[in-house]
Amino acid sequence: MPYIALIIPLLFAALFAFALFKKVRLYDCFTEGVKGAIPLAVSLFPYLAVVLILSELFEQSGLSQALTALIAPALNALGIPPEIAKLVLIKPFSGSGATAVLSELFAAYGADSYIARCACVAFGSSETVFYVSAVYFAGHKKKLLRPIVIALAANFLSVVLGCFLCRFL
Amino acid sequence: MNAIFAAIFLAAAVIFCICDPAEFLPAMLTGGERAATLTLTLLASYCVWLGFFKVMEQSGLSAMLSRRLYPLSRRLFRSDDQSALSDACQNIAANLLGLPGAPTPLGVAATGKFLAANNNYAADMLFVLNATSLQLLPTTVIALRAAAGSANAADILLPTLLATLLSTLIGAGLVALTGRKCRT
Repeated sequence: MPYIALIIPLLFAALFAFALFKKVRLYDCFTEGVKGAIPLAVSLFPYLAVVLILSELFEQSGLSQALTALIAPALNALGIPPEIAKLVLIKPFSGSGATAVLSELFAAYGADSYIARCACVAFGSSETVFYVSAVYFAGHKKKLLRPIVIALAANFLSVVLGCFLCRFL
Repeated sequence: MNAIFAAIFLAAAVIFCICDPAEFLPAMLTGGERAATLTLTLLASYCVWLGFFKVMEQSGLSAMLSRRLYPLSRRLFRSDDQSALSDACQNIAANLLGLPGAPTPLGVAATGKFLAANNNYAADMLFVLNATSLQLLPTTVIALRAAAGSANAADILLPTLLATLLSTLIGAGLVALTGRKCRT
């Protein structure tokens, strides 16, 4: 699908042409916007650091393997191959961790196997819940339990449905 | 978040004490290192997208889009705040298009405005939409799969799209159902 790559350059070209038509001073305006980049990165940094330290501890302590072994039979009952349990567990914490697990699965079972396809769907239809919550709610005092539980439940259901669909589609 | 932090941290510390105490600090430092590199990567994409969004704003395109979507977004987020809704709509659009790094600054801005107005419901809705994956084309997975030598890397498109659609609908539905009681 090489035409997907066209989206971004076309988007920029269209916007800048429109902005010129509206007599926007492009250079000044773009620079003005970039000014916000460093304050934003600085304000998000502490939350990112804590989530990533936590995800590293979770993974390297063997806690994730232990939990994987624990939940694999339950996942199996729902039609999720036990091989992708680790992926399902890692994804809410860390996108790069999940990418690494996905690559391992490709290497172990082949990119076109049923397990790899399930893993792709699980990866593509779920999101890094803890990471997103850390970033979006950074610095706000707010009860996070309800939105996080809802997001995790919805993500989990999408994995169940995804693995089910992979058998037919 | 405090409970999750304490639980994982303590459990990991105990396991490290039993199995391999010397590896505890290096594991945390790896996390810190990844935070540092990830922040730089994100900073790079904020540079591009914050410039892009400023041009969108000053050319009047943001205002035009948010006026069009106002009737819909007002009901979805139960909010009347024009500027927060405009950020939220652009966040959703950036998510759908799968522009890497672009949704974050908009989402952070919209969440800040919603919470400043004490609208927990809108902040939760926006978070759940973002945390259930809205992407129309899972480009990352397809690229990874193609790189791993798949014969038809894009054939996971349909199941992924259906699964992600379902999760987003369920997530948004649950927020709408459970949020009614504590509407402010």
